[in-house]
Amino acid sequence: MPQNVHLIETLSMLLIITSVAAIEFQNLKRAAGAYAVQALLICGLILAFAAGNPALYVWAVVAFITKAVLTPWFIMRFIGKTGEQEVRPIVGFGVSVVVVSVILFTFYKLTHTYVHVLAPTPDSVAGVFRTNLAIALTVFVLGLYAILTRRDAIKTVIGLCLLENAVHLSLVSLAPTLRETALVGIATEVVVTVYLLLYVISGIRERVGTTDTFELAELHW
Amino acid sequence: MESSATIPSALTQAAFLVPAAAGLLAWLLGKVRRVLAEAFAVLGAAGALAVAIAIVPAVLRGEVLTGWGRELRVDSLSALLVLLISAVALCAAVFAIRYMRHRRLYDAQGQDVTDARLPIFYGLFLLFLATMLWGCITNNIIMLYVAVEATTIASGLLVAFYWDRRSLEAGYKYLMLLTVGITFALFACVLVYASASRYLPGVSAMLISEVQGVAGLIPRSVAIFVVALLIVGFGTKAGIAPFHPWLPDAHAEAPSPVSALLSGVMIKMAAYALARTVTLFFPAFPVLTVFVVVLGAFTMLLGGVMALAQDDLKRLLAYSSVSQIGYVVMGLGFGTYLGVYGGLFHLLNHAAAKALLFLSVGAVIYATSARSMGELGGLGRRMPLTAVCFFVGAFSLAGMPPFAGFMSKLTIFLAGAERGMWAAVAVAIFTSLLTLVVVFRAGQAVFWGAPKSQAAAAGSVREAPASLWVAMLALASVCVVLGVYPQLVYPLLNQAALNIAGVLGGH
Repeated sequence: MPQNVHLIETLSMLLIITSVAAIEFQNLKRAAGAYAVQALLICGLILAFAAGNPALYVWAVVAFITKAVLTPWFIMRFIGKTGEQEVRPIVGFGVSVVVVSVILFTFYKLTHTYVHVLAPTPDSVAGVFRTNLAIALTVFVLGLYAILTRRDAIKTVIGLCLLENAVHLSLVSLAPTLRETALVGIATEVVVTVYLLLYVISGIRERVGTTDTFELAELHW
Repeated sequence: MESSATIPSALTQAAFLVPAAAGLLAWLLGKVRRVLAEAFAVLGAAGALAVAIAIVPAVLRGEVLTGWGRELRVDSLSALLVLLISAVALCAAVFAIRYMRHRRLYDAQGQDVTDARLPIFYGLFLLFLATMLWGCITNNIIMLYVAVEATTIASGLLVAFYWDRRSLEAGYKYLMLLTVGITFALFACVLVYASASRYLPGVSAMLISEVQGVAGLIPRSVAIFVVALLIVGFGTKAGIAPFHPWLPDAHAEAPSPVSALLSGVMIKMAAYALARTVTLFFPAFPVLTVFVVVLGAFTMLLGGVMALAQDDLKRLLAYSSVSQIGYVVMGLGFGTYLGVYGGLFHLLNHAAAKALLFLSVGAVIYATSARSMGELGGLGRRMPLTAVCFFVGAFSLAGMPPFAGFMSKLTIFLAGAERGMWAAVAVAIFTSLLTLVVVFRAGQAVFWGAPKSQAAAAGSVREAPASLWVAMLALASVCVVLGVYPQLVYPLLNQAALNIAGVLGGH
């Protein structure tokens, strides 16, 4: 059990708040900012676990560069050319906040209660791990929600980043003491995918004139 | 199978480092002379094939080759995939040379940028090949995920290569849907890694060969969750319904040689990833096999029906790939030696037939610039070789004797009968007939009758150049030879099938 339990729990809880902010801010720069804050929280979490596993310091540094610097920078650079307002999502702001809250509370409650069903080790049912696993799954579902309901391509990219952060949170919470965990975390960064996606989206904006994914309907059936 | 001798071998690294290095050279030197990019593309794929051929005798002796400690591991199943992927890639590379020069690309200012883009194309083409091969060689469950995601990254820009509205849309969906899907698999791999580490003190819990021994100890509820995540994750990449919607877009909009790789082998590599990981849990959950068979049946039927509704030849072929991957999944799902043998045999036959069909349609596009059935017609007399190649691929795909697809489908039917799963057999036979209708109708619309558009009637339409049909003939001969002499691949398939069936408890 790591020493700084309270710190870890606080950081994890803040992850949920930043996820919701990244999804709901209709100003894309603010959404990217919220994502950058979440990235910093993840780095903090990795650092908090690193006391028992020094290899995690390396991961924390890499995660800082890829998640907190490169990814938001790519997104900001893209927004700079496109205008800051999100393409209107299919779910309006008011409804979306309600839906997100419902997802958040039911999913968190559900996973926190039944965490033993998917906890691979006896340790992971206890205390901080239990909270972190529940938060990881909640952030994962929030990411999926963003991808499914947002029309703006940038928002779907942010949703994808949320999914990845969720998996990384579960990784560092489930196997904080294993030597290879840092390597796994670094190897599974999706920053290259994010860059490529933004590159393709910029091509779409150039050729089609929009970043509204619902306009992309040439191909169906 | 763990009793077999493991031998450290540099071939394990060479298999994917050779095409990766060739890709780098193709990209760098191709900027100097375009022909160098094309030369390295062919050399890189040929090099990979040479390594694959060198590996085969060892695995036939029952040996397992390892590299970088135990990080890389080539057994008979890996060897089968490596051989298949590099062979199809070589055909696609040879085909690409003339084909990719043909359609000119223009930037926003109207400048011809084809020659500037081709080195990037070949660089990514070889990188794509290298990542697929790496995925089949790695023994590390996390690196398996990384390799599968790397294939998406390497091929994303290949799908969007023409950079027009349709290909950009396909490229966006491809990158987005596959990355989201594969993240599910990552979650599963992390759970396996974390839970297996308990039972493997002092050993890396990421090595699949080690996890295999302890998978049964992982708590039941966790294992079910893991299997579900793996099926969604790798199943998305493999094109299993209902996770297939990216597939027809990407496979249809990519340049034809890339389509041949995507449909021919990339989805097979994902099926391999599924087989490697999900079968770890088969012995603990016999009911899982039934579920996988149902998934296979659903996939083949849906893909077949959707293919019937297409007018665009490449979309038709793409949907048919969904359908055929259903056969592979069903065969593996039966879980018996015969089922696994049939599934793997069909994996091989479908790779050859579908790559052949995409290249044949590519030759039609090369000659006419058209690809929908409503625009074509009457090409048989002017493009006889292409027509023959198309029909060889089509009949093999539909499982008609004496072509290779008949043998593998028959094996799958028999395996189903042996398990007493008659409903599955009925769906499989029905879908085969459906496939016959689909491909025969397409062939008739393209090669018989009168041309239905100016493009198809133009006097300039003639047989594709030699470098195109050489690649097609090579694949067509595989479809014929394996149909007449299926025993040629028996030694390798037998070892590979024993390998999986061994994991399943040696039926």
